[in-house]
Amino acid sequence: MYNSRIRGVLVEGNKSYHQITEDVLKPLEAKRPPTWWYIAIFVSIAMIIFGLWAMYTTVSIGIGTWGVNNNVAWGFGIINFVWWIGIGHAGTAFSIFLLILRQKWRTSINRAAEAMTVVAVICAGLFPMLHMGRIWNAFFILPYWNTRGPLWDNFNSPLFWDVVAISTYLMASAVFWYIGMIPDFATIREKTTSKVKKAVYGALSFGWVGTARGWLRFETAALMIGGLAAPLVVSVHSIVAMDFATSVIPGWHTTIFPPYFVVGAIFSGFGMVLTLMIIVRRVFKYQEYVTKGHLDAIARILTFISLIMATAYSTEFFVAWYSGAEYEMFTFMKNRVTGEYTIAFWTMITCNAIIPQLFWFKKIRTNITIVFIISIFINIGMWFERYVIVVTSLSKDFLPSSWASYTASTVEVAIFIGTLGIFIFGVLLFFRYIPMIAISEIKGINKETSWTNNDNDE
Amino acid sequence: MTMMSKTNIIGVYDDPDVLVSAIKKVKESGIKIKNVFSPFPIHEVFEVLGLKTRIPYMTFMYGVFGVLITYAFLYWTSVISYPLKFGGKPLNSLSFIIILFVMTINIATFLTFMTFFIRQKLGPGKKVVMIEPASVDDKFVITVEKDKDMTAEEAGKIKKILQEAGAIDVKEKEEPEGYITEEND
Repeated sequence: MYNSRIRGVLVEGNKSYHQITEDVLKPLEAKRPPTWWYIAIFVSIAMIIFGLWAMYTTVSIGIGTWGVNNNVAWGFGIINFVWWIGIGHAGTAFSIFLLILRQKWRTSINRAAEAMTVVAVICAGLFPMLHMGRIWNAFFILPYWNTRGPLWDNFNSPLFWDVVAISTYLMASAVFWYIGMIPDFATIREKTTSKVKKAVYGALSFGWVGTARGWLRFETAALMIGGLAAPLVVSVHSIVAMDFATSVIPGWHTTIFPPYFVVGAIFSGFGMVLTLMIIVRRVFKYQEYVTKGHLDAIARILTFISLIMATAYSTEFFVAWYSGAEYEMFTFMKNRVTGEYTIAFWTMITCNAIIPQLFWFKKIRTNITIVFIISIFINIGMWFERYVIVVTSLSKDFLPSSWASYTASTVEVAIFIGTLGIFIFGVLLFFRYIPMIAISEIKGINKETSWTNNDNDE
Repeated sequence: MTMMSKTNIIGVYDDPDVLVSAIKKVKESGIKIKNVFSPFPIHEVFEVLGLKTRIPYMTFMYGVFGVLITYAFLYWTSVISYPLKFGGKPLNSLSFIIILFVMTINIATFLTFMTFFIRQKLGPGKKVVMIEPASVDDKFVITVEKDKDMTAEEAGKIKKILQEAGAIDVKEKEEPEGYITEEND
């Protein structure tokens, strides 16, 4: 049982159930979204158009428009793919791990985290498709009945595992997200006065009325899907890691890769959640729902994960030295710590292992501006981690005569900017049309955890 | 004879704990509760009403089905349909486990999701019939069906019990067409 006298209240301001409905639905009921929303959506559309130009160039001319070469065959495409997938781990990590652990503070954040997940995974999925070069042959990856034998996919290939894992992940997180929204759509349906909204949200609510039996099935189904998706969080990024680890490239061919990637993904996911929630609570005045206590909890988790990241980095070095593998040692010492990509390496170390350690200080954890800046650093640091992994190992492998450098071309950068645009666009639509906080879940914990005058916790 | 439309006696509450004690009282006095509506799930309500669901067993069965069907497909494609050796691995390879793992989750998740909608009879375009619209906002509702051979006295007794259990409003409402008919006992 949650004891609010010890742990503090989760929702501030003694909200009544009706007030929660009013507060959460306020941005949806506004006749027009605020001016900044229009500006932001305009910017995001401009970014998407830039990205679409680059995607068109890639498809019509070919991969030659990218900065990749025979040696560094994986450039921005894979870096950004892994980065987006990492961010996409936030939703599931948040909702599902914390759901299974019965952490009640997740309720005001999970909806936004899940929305982020779905959009981020869609962004991620674009990169491998474009990276194929001949995107019109993308369906070859599906095991369909064909006239070539039928010749099937290689079911032992990590690249095929990737396709299965990521499409499953997208489906599972979208399904979980949608189930959670059904009761909230019903709330909007009954509350709104607009006929159009009533029809649209009515259809989206699937006719939900909220009977006791319905709630029991709802909760059970959500718990089952959550329980199934929890191992998926671990497996998706493990499989992404196997794309690297099952090769024989120095710096990739290590057994630490799967756990190291999973932790990194949760790290970047939580970092992005922090960035997003700080914006949401400020802009939509949700400070009473996403309290400083919530941000503090995320910051504490990040401190811990940052330590795991630091351990993973040091372990890699230790193994490179202890194994006596000279190519490994070269990659780490001559091509990461020093050498051409030293800036990327040290940015990664600083942003991921050092800066988040500032969260040990309570003064920093409670200063929202600094927390916001640190969360941005984490996002940058995690991007550089993928850069370091992908580029350094490929650029200088076993044979010096085939060494090559990599610089991203405009087209590659434009595709990245385009996906950032898709992400911002998706999040803005979410702000406008979907309740940002799970209304029914907040109501469910409200009395127990947030009424300061209740005599329940004795 | 004209069609008899059903009537429901409904008690409206504004607190989950009052609702739970009201359900207990109504049940103790031997009245059959038709439905309980609330804006969020309340575990005590499930317990008091004695509600159970078999969804977890179904999910388990779906998982088993997922493993079997995926393995059958992998075995058939790799060993029977087009046996092709590569990487020195056996045709029936241990690394199938990864696809098996992911596809089990995939199939079980999707089928559980569908089961929820089918069992709950939810779907896009379903006609919404709410007896008390405030129950998706901040009200908790108990409904009791008023039998056509119920005397006014008996109905009054039910209303009194609902009222005494802490209802903020007790009323009679004609049952709208298409009202959910699920049983609660």
